Amino acid sequence: MSEPKKQLSRREMLRRGALGAGLAGVAGTAAVLAARTARSGTVWQLDPEKCIQCGNCAVNCVLDPSAVRVVHAFALCGYCDLCFGYFPPGFEPDDEFETPGAESQLCPTGAILRRWTEGPHFEYTIDEALCIGCGKCVKGCGAFGNGSLFLQVRHNRCLNCNECSIAAACPAGAYRRVPADHPYLLKGEDQKA
Amino acid sequence: MASRKLGPEFTYDLSEFRRVDPDLIHYEQSAAVGTGLKEPRGIAVGPEDRLYVAGDRAVRVFGSDGRAAGDWATQMDPRCVAVAPAGTVYVAAADHVEAFAADGRRETAWKPAGQPSLITGLAAADGDVFASDAAACAVWHYSAAGELLGRIDGRPAPAAAAKDAGGPGFIVPSPYFDVAVGPAGVLLVANPGRRRVELYTYDGIFKSSWGAASFKIEGFCGCCNPTHLSALPGGRIVTSEKGLPRVKVYAPEGRLASVVAPPAAFDEAAAGLDVAADSAGRIWVLDPLARQVRLFTRKKTAPAEAKP
Repeated sequence: MSEPKKQLSRREMLRRGALGAGLAGVAGTAAVLAARTARSGTVWQLDPEKCIQCGNCAVNCVLDPSAVRVVHAFALCGYCDLCFGYFPPGFEPDDEFETPGAESQLCPTGAILRRWTEGPHFEYTIDEALCIGCGKCVKGCGAFGNGSLFLQVRHNRCLNCNECSIAAACPAGAYRRVPADHPYLLKGEDQKA
Repeated sequence: MASRKLGPEFTYDLSEFRRVDPDLIHYEQSAAVGTGLKEPRGIAVGPEDRLYVAGDRAVRVFGSDGRAAGDWATQMDPRCVAVAPAGTVYVAAADHVEAFAADGRRETAWKPAGQPSLITGLAAADGDVFASDAAACAVWHYSAAGELLGRIDGRPAPAAAAKDAGGPGFIVPSPYFDVAVGPAGVLLVANPGRRRVELYTYDGIFKSSWGAASFKIEGFCGCCNPTHLSALPGGRIVTSEKGLPRVKVYAPEGRLASVVAPPAAFDEAAAGLDVAADSAGRIWVLDPLARQVRLFTRKKTAPAEAKP
């Protein structure tokens, strides 16, 4: 008798699917970039390993709102029921399966969406139209979780200024120019892919 | 460009939760041992209360007074260590366990049990060894000779499912998943994604659990805690957490007994605070950022402990 094929759990399937989708989004901006950066061949990017989530990205970009957004490395995410990139510190739910109102969410602009997947697992996605790149959720995720939320310059918005005003204000020296054909500094397995 | 500012609602502040009532802190640091390792990962206490520290492809041994007493190199990158009452030292890499004689001579390397595998906790009793595997979300039960005896996944057996004997199994969102041997044949397993400690028989039968998600000092904070645990003499249990790094002692039934080290005792980013207790009830805490093992003993002024 042949061995039954190992079935992917829904969570694993979602994780793989989401990784693909996330990368597709990032790749989708490559064509826009190619035209925008032909001059220099490099673009500005934020190294998530150096970022200290000071909030400067949100207020120092020449664009308002900033070109910086939170992105999510799904492969690193724990899909936690109590995600403290989503909930504020001290939050204690009556029912952890209930999605709370805005008053019980960490993000001041309500830019993180929470969706039940299976068992006690939830998926968190970013509504880029609402995110202003303040990095508050990045701090919470880094403190309690796996650091799967992090900030990146989104190149479908960035004007690629010669002198980036955020880079000039960054106290961590986290900004640098990267090749335009590899415009993102991603974390975890997303980076390998 | 117009100057823009973020309002106070954009501030992330944990200071309120880092404060602990001083009356609850019944321990004080009495010594610190430099490990000499760049990335110390795990600690254990063995016979004669010797302290074992694993990391950087090495195991270092210290006397109960903290003085260096030996060391040996390993061929793998150790993540955790446990010592059996008879003195055999078990060291785990991500995917397998190796057994060493007390003098550091490698005796056996066991076959990997899971694929993929990320062993993050080890515990050893007389004749039994347990390895908690964060990738498999299971505890592997071995004989002392390395024979795989069972897999404990925290899920109820089908016949017991209706009684909700165990719940949805071990939820391990981050690479911290620990196991310890308790008194009288009880296995203690941290279920970090459920913010609780679960008790099993060695055969994997669920007995009970305690613990609740809370930022209050009596609970386990964040998404996934406790990260480490160990049994103290008399059945009490010492736990450590990340996010709000804190070390606490619980009575056998799960009531908070005392705080060993509050968040203020650690760097804000401290994690991987492995814990081990000696026969006198002293508590060793691994502080990987400081590359030290810190010894906490009960304050002379601490109130007497309630009998279990």
